[in-house]
Amino acid sequence: MNSEDRRTHMLQLAAGAAFLAVAVVLVLIVVSASSSGDGGDTKLEGVPEVNRRLAGIPQHGMVLGDPSAPVEVLEFADLQCPYCKAFTEDQLPPIIENQIKKGEVKLAFHNFTIIGEQSLPAGAAALAAGAQGRGWNFVELFYKNQGNENSGYADDEFLRAIAKGAGVSDMAEWNEERQKVTAEVEATTAEAQELGFAGTPSLAIKGPGTAGLEPIEAQSTGDLEAAIEAAG
Amino acid sequence: MSYPSEGTLQRAIAFAAALGIGVAAYIAIAESGGGSPVCLAGSHGCATVAESSYSHVAGVNIAVFGIVAYCLLLASAFFADDLARFGGFLVALGGFGYSVFLTYIELFKIEAVCQWCAASAILMTILFLLAATRLIAYAGTAETLPDRA
Repeated sequence: MNSEDRRTHMLQLAAGAAFLAVAVVLVLIVVSASSSGDGGDTKLEGVPEVNRRLAGIPQHGMVLGDPSAPVEVLEFADLQCPYCKAFTEDQLPPIIENQIKKGEVKLAFHNFTIIGEQSLPAGAAALAAGAQGRGWNFVELFYKNQGNENSGYADDEFLRAIAKGAGVSDMAEWNEERQKVTAEVEATTAEAQELGFAGTPSLAIKGPGTAGLEPIEAQSTGDLEAAIEAAG
Repeated sequence: MSYPSEGTLQRAIAFAAALGIGVAAYIAIAESGGGSPVCLAGSHGCATVAESSYSHVAGVNIAVFGIVAYCLLLASAFFADDLARFGGFLVALGGFGYSVFLTYIELFKIEAVCQWCAASAILMTILFLLAATRLIAYAGTAETLPDRA
């Protein structure tokens, strides 16, 4: 083969490779666009928003924020509870943006399952996401897509979609883990009852300024900020 | 059509590939400890992209694939034969195509842009254009005659 033939042959191969590359990229984009990206057939709201808001904030289990923060706020909540959703979406964002990001406060989510039978597996699914550092992403994304209490929406497919949307990277491990942690969900529910809580969300706080774990009432962000100030 | 000399294209490829190695290595090192690259102007895009499921393929950080691709492109710049021209073109084509896909994912699926990933995509685009120009201009020419411009 002379050099001109070799050149022609090489350019033909290059054109074929370029055509193939364009086809592969188009297929990848079409496949990616046709999948929800959020898991299963369940279309979720707020995936980028939630993951963006929590990006860069340390998470250890169900604790959001610097583990060495002096003050810890414990939220006892049921993922099916609309008041918990309202609390998380309306009152918590300023606390997360300020005190938590500054490392002054850490926030622990504790399951207090009182709404219905799907609350327990939902709580366990959140803990399993927490084992992969995505617990608060799971909680916030669940609230973003919360349905009516006990309407049956929080089924297995829904939980899987939330976990995927929350960024749980190892779904097999998540699935295995959530089977193991139902006792932990029941334990925090019992803990909430021992603290005298009767509804969700219920809050408790501990820090240098408190005598151990103290229940608090926080009807507004201002109330919560005042309680944090007093506990610090 | 007049093309730059092959030597000029080789030097440009070597320079862009070296920059690409630096960018990809920074992303890989920053993410190796569970962290993320630092985005400029306080943007959280880098952390959002790093924490997405798209940042790894088969458990391997995609920045590692980037380092390998840039190293191959750098190596291709040191030889003036058809294997280097065609091999460099194929690597740059693959890198460019994957960069297009990842940019789509960032914009429309993750809805966050990592500035370091964007820098890498721009470098890979430049490398693809350089490698394609090199192949078109000099494919089939002898090693001893690198300057056909």
